[in-house]
Amino acid sequence: MMYHQMPIPPRSEHLWRYTPWPRIHPTKTDDVPSADDVIFSNDGPQVLNSIQPSQDSQGDIARAFLQAAGGSSSQMSLNDESEPIHINARASGHVAVGHLHLDVKGSAVVFLHISGEPEWVGLHITGNLHPNAHLAFGFINELDSNTKFLRCEDWQLDRDSSLEHATLSVGGFRCKSDLRTSLNGTGSSVRQSITVNADGSRHDDKHVEIHHHHGHTQSDLVMNSACGGNSHFIGTGLLTIAEGANKSDASQVFRNLLLSEKARAEAIPELEVLADDVSAAHGAASAPIDRNQLHYLMSRGLSPEEAQSVIVNGFLYDAFSNLTNKQLLEEMRTRLTVHLECELKR
Amino acid sequence: MTDDTQDIIGDYKYGFHDPENSTIRFDKGLSEQVVRDISELKNEPEWMTDIRVKAYRHFEERVMPEWGNCALLDSIDFESITYFLRSSNKTEKSWDDVPDDIKNTFDRLGIPEAEQKWLGGVTAQYESEAVYHSIREDLEEQGVIFLDMDSGLKEYPEIVKKYFGTVIPHSDNKFSALNTAVWSGGSFLYIPKGVHVEMPVQAYFRINAKNMGQFERTLIIADEGSSVHYVEGCTAPSYSTDSLHSAVVELIAMDGAKIRYSTVQNWSSNVYNLVTKRAVAHRNATVEWVDGNIGSKLTMKYPSVLLKGEGAHAEVISVAYAGKGQHQDTGAKVHHLASNTTSNILSKSISKDGGRSSYRGLLQVTPKSTGCRSKVVCDALILDSDSRSDTYPTMEIGNSTSDLEHEASVSKVSNDQLFYLMSRGFNEEAAMGLIVNGFFEPFTRELPMEYAVELNKLLELEMEGSIG
Repeated sequence: MMYHQMPIPPRSEHLWRYTPWPRIHPTKTDDVPSADDVIFSNDGPQVLNSIQPSQDSQGDIARAFLQAAGGSSSQMSLNDESEPIHINARASGHVAVGHLHLDVKGSAVVFLHISGEPEWVGLHITGNLHPNAHLAFGFINELDSNTKFLRCEDWQLDRDSSLEHATLSVGGFRCKSDLRTSLNGTGSSVRQSITVNADGSRHDDKHVEIHHHHGHTQSDLVMNSACGGNSHFIGTGLLTIAEGANKSDASQVFRNLLLSEKARAEAIPELEVLADDVSAAHGAASAPIDRNQLHYLMSRGLSPEEAQSVIVNGFLYDAFSNLTNKQLLEEMRTRLTVHLECELKR
Repeated sequence: MTDDTQDIIGDYKYGFHDPENSTIRFDKGLSEQVVRDISELKNEPEWMTDIRVKAYRHFEERVMPEWGNCALLDSIDFESITYFLRSSNKTEKSWDDVPDDIKNTFDRLGIPEAEQKWLGGVTAQYESEAVYHSIREDLEEQGVIFLDMDSGLKEYPEIVKKYFGTVIPHSDNKFSALNTAVWSGGSFLYIPKGVHVEMPVQAYFRINAKNMGQFERTLIIADEGSSVHYVEGCTAPSYSTDSLHSAVVELIAMDGAKIRYSTVQNWSSNVYNLVTKRAVAHRNATVEWVDGNIGSKLTMKYPSVLLKGEGAHAEVISVAYAGKGQHQDTGAKVHHLASNTTSNILSKSISKDGGRSSYRGLLQVTPKSTGCRSKVVCDALILDSDSRSDTYPTMEIGNSTSDLEHEASVSKVSNDQLFYLMSRGFNEEAAMGLIVNGFFEPFTRELPMEYAVELNKLLELEMEGSIG
């Protein structure tokens, strides 16, 4: 269905409950502005080819909007890559849109850095992992603090493939992410880590769907957020295990650390299980900083700000601890540390 | 009972039905006139008629919920339901005065026996209105009021007017509007300041007629420093056509009061059980919902607590069993509206023979409610590959001083546990039964003894033939 034919989704759908479509749309909902390109670039030998973006919106209004808005569209084919690949996505102007497709047939480590100062940016990332392919994917959002950001991702995993997916979300003023992974083949697995550091009046809404369509599949999601100022973080998850997808193993953990009185956080980790021989669990927790931990660090000579920063760093670091790819883990942790140090110096 | 009926009923213990012997029966279907007629028949004050009419209009305007099991919800035909049916002309105080056929029903349900033994008070509702009601003399002397809701409105209109619809307004949802428009029966319980009702107070609700809607309205007010335990059971015979049970239950726990509300719902598998239950807990008050859902075709029930006063506490323990053709969509909602409030939610569910159980919960801490603590635990067992279990929890945290946890797991019965028990001489079915009973144990231990025994028996019946 085309964007203009779609009704505005009601807030009873939890995907749109806290960040309704009109709040993330760049202008008015019946308008599809002409979008500038998000410029993708890569320093390595791998080639980014221009392609036609996918026209499958899955009935989702955000995807349909990104398709209607146009923008750039690139594809990268990956086989066995010895070195990590860094793709830079640069956005500018009023409204910018980009589509990126990764076709993975071997083992690769890819980092996507998005930066720039557009008023609004939309990104649709899709990926196909062929049988036995392994992708470690790091997404680093360092957009300007006044940018509205819409991000959709769709990953299809074939037999025995694995995806390690890490997100560091520190940029943008209002962010909405809808990240979906389908485990379509036996033995496929996804490990997903999301780290959010929100401050000021930042609003960050992350929706993660993982669908176990086949048995003997595995998923592991960790979402940690540290919210200060007036910020608002929303983490929603939908984990489904289809009928007959026995021996699936799925877990979701959502943790929120609230750093100021006015910070808010919501967690909705949902489960739909239609098979009986599975292991599925989720957990969510929300709490302030432990005063004992602060006291301990301050008794070692740290100022209150430094002590808090150490605790936040440790807490956010922990979100990446389920990753097994060392290059991905180190890069994400390094980026996080640099960001927190810059915050502290401000 | 004919063989055909037995086929429909299966093992459902309460699937018998008495010949319908009503003194007043309204035509099927709902209109403003039906609502006014119900009110007139009951000789209600004008303000209640006005509330009913307002609620009816809201019901007509309000769309069906767009979440949950929409297919089943949309299949409810409101025009084929009888909204009022009177089985007995008056509420009897003495068991001997209750008409024989109704008495037989309640004898089979164990009501008078229970009362003779140890219960504080009993009310029994058959179709739309209470037919039997009794309260122990010592409680009456202490000022405890325990009446069916219609009598409560007649005898204590000022209390009813003050609290009716304050916790659940008619505009809360489509089914609370329906209930407010056509309510009949239910319990009215008032505990004066400082009175502790030691024995549980009990109510039993039964639908006997076909295509019947039961819309009881319960209002419980525990005044400052008082405490009470209210127990409710529900059954219905099995017919091939569906019935609707849509109750509204409002609890008000004043400062320092404690209310425990226990339910074991065992409606037959053709009943839509769409119930709104909510409590308000003032300063240092405690509200506990102990909620068992075994029967019905579709249950949508989320006992809620509004923690309005500092230091208030909410406790929700619920179990759900979803067998063939059943969807138990249950859960709990706790709103921390004041500082230093605490809550615990424990939910357990079992899905079997293609049944579906869903936990749907909400935990909310408002920005000004500091120092709140809450813990939510949901465990689900799926006993076969046709069944389904969902968890839809929501946590909304509005400030940084609150500590909240949620955890959930879905699994099948552990082979290790089965093996262990079978190595001790149990056959597989008995071992499975023991594990299921153990799984529900945190719930059953909170029930009065006779209900716990009843629940275990029901589970045993439901579990028969679960192996192989």
